[in-house]
Amino acid sequence: MSDERVLCLSEEAGIAESLVRLARSLPLGAQGRVEALVLAGAPPGAADRLAGAGADGVTTVSGAESGDPQVVAAAVASVVESLTPTLLLTGSTKRGRELAGRLAGRLDLAVVTGATSITLAADRLTVERETLSGNAIATERVERRPALVAMLPGFDAPRAAPAASVTRAEHPAPVVAALVEVRERRPKPGGEVDVEKAERIVTIGRGLKRKEDLVLIEALARALHAEVGCTRPLAAEAGWLSDDHWIGLTGHRVHPKLYLAVGVSGAVQHLVGMRAAKVVVAVNKDPKAPIFAQSDYALVGDLYQIVPALTKALGG
Amino acid sequence: MAGKLRIGVAVKHGVDVVLTRADKATGLIALAGAPRKTSDFDKNAVEEAVRLRDKHGGVVTAISVGGPNAKEALREAVAIGADEAVLVTHDGWADWDTRAVGRLLAAASRTLGGFDLLVLGEGSTDHFSGILGPRVAGELGVASVAYARKITLENDLLLVEKDLEREVEVVAAHLPAVVSVGQEINTPRLPTFLQNLKASKKEVRVLAPEALGVDAATLRPSVVAERVRVPEVPRKLTTLTGATPEELAQRLREALASEGVLP
Repeated sequence: MSDERVLCLSEEAGIAESLVRLARSLPLGAQGRVEALVLAGAPPGAADRLAGAGADGVTTVSGAESGDPQVVAAAVASVVESLTPTLLLTGSTKRGRELAGRLAGRLDLAVVTGATSITLAADRLTVERETLSGNAIATERVERRPALVAMLPGFDAPRAAPAASVTRAEHPAPVVAALVEVRERRPKPGGEVDVEKAERIVTIGRGLKRKEDLVLIEALARALHAEVGCTRPLAAEAGWLSDDHWIGLTGHRVHPKLYLAVGVSGAVQHLVGMRAAKVVVAVNKDPKAPIFAQSDYALVGDLYQIVPALTKALGG
Repeated sequence: MAGKLRIGVAVKHGVDVVLTRADKATGLIALAGAPRKTSDFDKNAVEEAVRLRDKHGGVVTAISVGGPNAKEALREAVAIGADEAVLVTHDGWADWDTRAVGRLLAAASRTLGGFDLLVLGEGSTDHFSGILGPRVAGELGVASVAYARKITLENDLLLVEKDLEREVEVVAAHLPAVVSVGQEINTPRLPTFLQNLKASKKEVRVLAPEALGVDAATLRPSVVAERVRVPEVPRKLTTLTGATPEELAQRLREALASEGVLP
């Protein structure tokens, strides 16, 4: 069995550390190595933390300070040339996938994104990933090396002891002209709710007729000490609520004790966001709404009549 | 940019996530032979390509890499407004992986004379690797912008609002470029009956990998799906009833109290 050399990199410092711990937990062989990359924009002390997480080597890239993924990919590609990893690990974030794509096109890599776990046994690399809009888990066998696996944030990363000795290196990035220039960067509005941490969530869907009627949902949420969630149409399309309320495949994934879906039809992209809820209650006037097949308790009826009654009954 | 604007748009005829059912006993899904449809984000890509052409002139070529049935996705693209349709396929086609599709799209882009702008969906509804746009651009060595929620073109300068998790970037790039779009960018039009009828008669140009200078033998999958299963989430599926909304609410209160999930 050949030894694995794993190169871990992410624009998110926390994910980079978790990737190192994940790599350390894999059977890499006697001469196997875990390498970590520190890219431009990493917080101070990032190299020390990656070493502490269990990396055998930490390479700090100087230069490549650019919002153009092509420039970052060129820098990573030059590190790949010198370290010749068998496996690259990154985070399946938006920037992570964008960089993964650029690198893959440049180096002709096998790529798996949205990965939830990795198995390495006798040179056989198998990855579990979300597929079919997050509604199914695929087990995929990687048949080409080097491969790049992008892990969905939240993956298991067991703690590991630091390596006995850690190699530190500086790697000057090749000078490449940026093809894309970042002209402006603005934070998204919102940030007042964290539905991913909420114990109870009242989610509203397209059953709501007018933005002003949100007060009904907010009152129910207050009575339940719950956060307000919403489906894609209400956030991305109508803009009635900010993106931090949005639950679903491209929104937030939540795991509350109680999930109350009001006027939510149950599109597959939404269901994946709420799958981890403990108890699901659905209110919908259409008895055939797909949401009911994913619910513990179904209430068939007009939300405009049921919600005020629930607010009264469930409050205090 | 010399002459008229050449826009390529990639469309996937992917597995229909809504119609696909798992085997009740095993929880496994068979992807071979599963019902297929045009991938959701790709309709946004076609719509955006068509709008850009309507504003700036030029030609929109829809390209699909896949099986013979992918012609359906191409005809849908034509119904939305694409001018030309190209299918890259070969005899005995079995699902190509992202690497193969990326290589074929890049090869198609070169062989068809080069696009000023190649538009893709951010990811496919079924597989959602979410890397194809940057992958093709990486192979072609041209600019790429992912997660576009607004595209503006000023001569050969492309301005894109890029939608990231916690921020929005406004980025600029000169053509040629590859842009992948999110669903926020537009609402794809629903073609009329006549547009669909006309599109159904549109000739689709069919090209084999070899015609694009790619040896099909080198497209062997780099990643193989061994199995696809639906995670089992047991739900109680209890319908509560009550003569009045108040009574119904009371039933729910009792149920949730016994679950221990009330504050």
